[in-house]
Amino acid sequence: MVLLDHAAVSQDAAVRVRGLSVVYRTDVGERAAVRSVDLDLSPGQITGIVGESGSGKSTLALALLNAVPKPGRIAAGSIEVGDLGEITGLSGRRLRHLRGGEIGYVFQASQNSLNPLKTIGKQLLDLGRSHGVDDLRGMVRDAGELAGRMGLDGKRVLDSYQHELSGGMRQRVGIMFALVLNARVLVLDEPTTALDMLSQVAVLDIVREIHRERGLATVIITHDMGVVAEMADRIAVMYGGRLVEVGPAVEVLRDPRHPYTRALIRAIPRLVGDPEAASALPGRPPDLVTLPQQGCVFRERCPLALPICATLDPAMTHDGMRGVACHAADGTPSSSEDEDRNEPIQAGGEKTS
Amino acid sequence: MIEATGIAKTYPARGGGLVERRDVVALRGVDFSLPAGGAVSFIGESGCGKTTLGRILSGVESHDGGRLVIDGVDVDATDKHKRRAAFRRVQLVHQDPYSALNPTRTVGNILGDPLRRRARETRASRGWVEQRAREVLELVGLEPDTVLPKYPHTLSGGQRQRVVIARALTADPAVLVADEAVSMIDVSLRLGILGLLRDLRERLGVALLFITHDVATARYVGVEGEIYVIYRGQVIERGPTDQVIQAPVHPYTQCLLSSIPVMRGIEEPGPDRLMPSAGPEAAEQDSPGCLFAARCPLATDVCRRERPVLTPIPGTGQEHACHHPAVRSVVPVPVG
Amino acid sequence: MSTTVDPVVAAVGRRTPKHHFWHGLRVVMLRRPSRIVGAGICALFAFLAVFGPHLYPANLPIDPTAIFQGPSSQHWLGTDFEGTDVLALLVTGTRYVLEAAAFASLFTVVIGTTVGLVAGYQRGLSDSSLMKVTDFVLTVPGFPLLIVLSTVWDFGAPASMGLVLGITGWGGLARAVRSQTLSLRERGFIEAARGLDLPAAHIVFRELLPNVAPYIAMSLLLTFTGFVYAEVGLFFLGVVPFTVNNWGVMLNLAVQNGALSATSALSYLLAPLVAILLLTLGVVLVLDAFDELFNPRLREG
Repeated sequence: MVLLDHAAVSQDAAVRVRGLSVVYRTDVGERAAVRSVDLDLSPGQITGIVGESGSGKSTLALALLNAVPKPGRIAAGSIEVGDLGEITGLSGRRLRHLRGGEIGYVFQASQNSLNPLKTIGKQLLDLGRSHGVDDLRGMVRDAGELAGRMGLDGKRVLDSYQHELSGGMRQRVGIMFALVLNARVLVLDEPTTALDMLSQVAVLDIVREIHRERGLATVIITHDMGVVAEMADRIAVMYGGRLVEVGPAVEVLRDPRHPYTRALIRAIPRLVGDPEAASALPGRPPDLVTLPQQGCVFRERCPLALPICATLDPAMTHDGMRGVACHAADGTPSSSEDEDRNEPIQAGGEKTS
Repeated sequence: MIEATGIAKTYPARGGGLVERRDVVALRGVDFSLPAGGAVSFIGESGCGKTTLGRILSGVESHDGGRLVIDGVDVDATDKHKRRAAFRRVQLVHQDPYSALNPTRTVGNILGDPLRRRARETRASRGWVEQRAREVLELVGLEPDTVLPKYPHTLSGGQRQRVVIARALTADPAVLVADEAVSMIDVSLRLGILGLLRDLRERLGVALLFITHDVATARYVGVEGEIYVIYRGQVIERGPTDQVIQAPVHPYTQCLLSSIPVMRGIEEPGPDRLMPSAGPEAAEQDSPGCLFAARCPLATDVCRRERPVLTPIPGTGQEHACHHPAVRSVVPVPVG
Repeated sequence: MSTTVDPVVAAVGRRTPKHHFWHGLRVVMLRRPSRIVGAGICALFAFLAVFGPHLYPANLPIDPTAIFQGPSSQHWLGTDFEGTDVLALLVTGTRYVLEAAAFASLFTVVIGTTVGLVAGYQRGLSDSSLMKVTDFVLTVPGFPLLIVLSTVWDFGAPASMGLVLGITGWGGLARAVRSQTLSLRERGFIEAARGLDLPAAHIVFRELLPNVAPYIAMSLLLTFTGFVYAEVGLFFLGVVPFTVNNWGVMLNLAVQNGALSATSALSYLLAPLVAILLLTLGVVLVLDAFDELFNPRLREG
């Protein structure tokens, strides 16, 4: 089912994902880490993809680069990126152009994706050469300027090795690498994990500024609903490889329609208000092997589970700019006690009961 | 339970060869007290010294100055045996559940090793070890029969963290030092572990020392908690948890609290939000004045000249180290 | 760090640990057929080492009429200077070679590992004194030392050969184990073990050793082949008196008795050399499997 984004004209979408399924080979056969996902990423919009570990969000991001690691593969669907068109079959020079030239990918700061044995500057040159950049000097100069805009001393950073930089600095260097080839899509994988609060704010501010300046299509992938709440224009919630809810950020937060989204928001430790208003999500997120193959993937942890949830995988239904994939989402709970669960969650307040 | 005065720690310069390194002062005379069954949180950025302090209090690292009394025992003025016994009552829960468990040993052995040692000491009956291992697993909410034969890499992050806590419990500790105990776990699962820690405090009377950069989690350690805000090795604000969160007076605390993400749609940013005027890289040198002055948007001359000391605010139980303290409302405000 | 569960690891983690190991071993071996070949070669040599001497009479027959013959249907690898079947010599000579190398490896592992673990864990005075000894052993040139030793000591028996090779050869392993230990001891579970007052012996042998074991196993295979070369070399040079036939002895006798000048004796000369090469090949192929077995991250694709 195609998700039409009314906030931006579809034809202008920088990335268009349709019916994407990515599977991994496991001991028990092939299992879908991402199943039938439709998503549009439009320029000028920040999309936040939220989900717990194992939800498939990172796999989805890697698929955008056609970089799904073995034993995984893209099993179905299409991904169209900008001028390159369909990218699932790309290889060679065009694939390299995709990675870096069209889509800039920023790894987590904790993952040492930088070469520890080379200076940042050298790695930048390597990047330029492998992408056939003619004016390497110009590229390095631009990179230095970009670093400066992010609050780093450009020259010093280019001469440093990875271990000489703090986590926040490494994250910013990662952003610099992702943008130095003028990509129009920026993908940030858990940009704030392993950073403390102040560094987090600094990095997010920078992302926001650069996003606005360059009119990028930005994607933030995270398990932290707070980050998404702060930054995103649109939220896409993933669970067990499926997209369960999408919509404008403010609306989804104010009035979450999928029980999982509600539970995620409720599970955040609260800084103000009644601490008891927050409660942990029962159970654990599924991994590939325990993923239910039939019916709704969330039903075992869902307070609203209906009999139909065990047999029929809910399709995404749309209501204007919002979409939700749930049998119980139209507000008919399984029993009358569950009625109050459909009330929007008020921050700091008690649930009306 | 723990009384610490003037704790100081400096990491000596590792000079020589091509690399010149200066001494790193991690802690500058910290005073701290934790009553039996109490709860204290240390808040601060990375590198502020909170982790070092936690490690010193649990005996993993030594301290250079000051006095540390654990369970009535002055750890510097006693013999090795008594000192070890005192530190055994303070157990550290590491932040990284992946490296905190030996990948080559089953959970049964991970719990069994310390229990067997205690059994030898106390000449416990046969079967005590197994029984106690089951007890601590149940205390942390894990199913013993499922978990005991497993190796750590087959458990999830949350389960591993619980095993780490269970292992700490085998020593019958009086204090659990949780160093970023939930930072490496998904946000959605954090409440589970936080609830467990609070539970243990209520059921077993264990005191909690919670080290974190995420202030919200500090509220979940239970009633009558205290927050210590640490900046570059110094305590710059201290007080009852909710009081410090709602009415912080030190600009650094206010910056920290301002950096909490705002859930737009449900919350609005606090009216008086504050940001540091420079990043942590700006504050490299040691200065005679306030350590935060180089980054403080409100710093004045006196701030750069004179280092403020921790002073109580009369009638509140709160303390601060600032020349211009002022209450500011910086935390997000619920909407609707 | 995001706790993304590796889907393959999670799937594999369903089983019990022992099952996991054998299953993992099978998967790894099957992934590249060369590894099975390597395992087969090693198994063959092991078989020969154990059963070889039983396949032939204690004193191999001499045939003065068939000296230095090339390969034929009677003697697949030809004959030596006395007319004895070369294949028989090779097979019966395998036991000594492998036995001595095995002993040497045993001594190296025991001494090197213990020194490395203790030095790396205790640090301080123990570390510096143990490392001084290690450095001494490392800097003294092994082979010349062995030659000198041979003048005062007859270490022709496999156990003594193994002992002497092992004693001169543990330095490298000790250093490597020490550096692994130094990095391991900073890990959370070691700190926790100390905080729980577990005795040092337990920490070293029960917590640290299993984590270093894969590395030791791999390095062992390599030093094993090194010991084979060393002992063959010693016998070839004739510095060690021999009582039992082995590959080095074959080479020595071959050259001494003029095999170099008889073209038909080529197979006699080459046989032990090829045997050594084959053994090394087998070991290296198996090593490749071990590497992947112990390092799961290499398993993807």
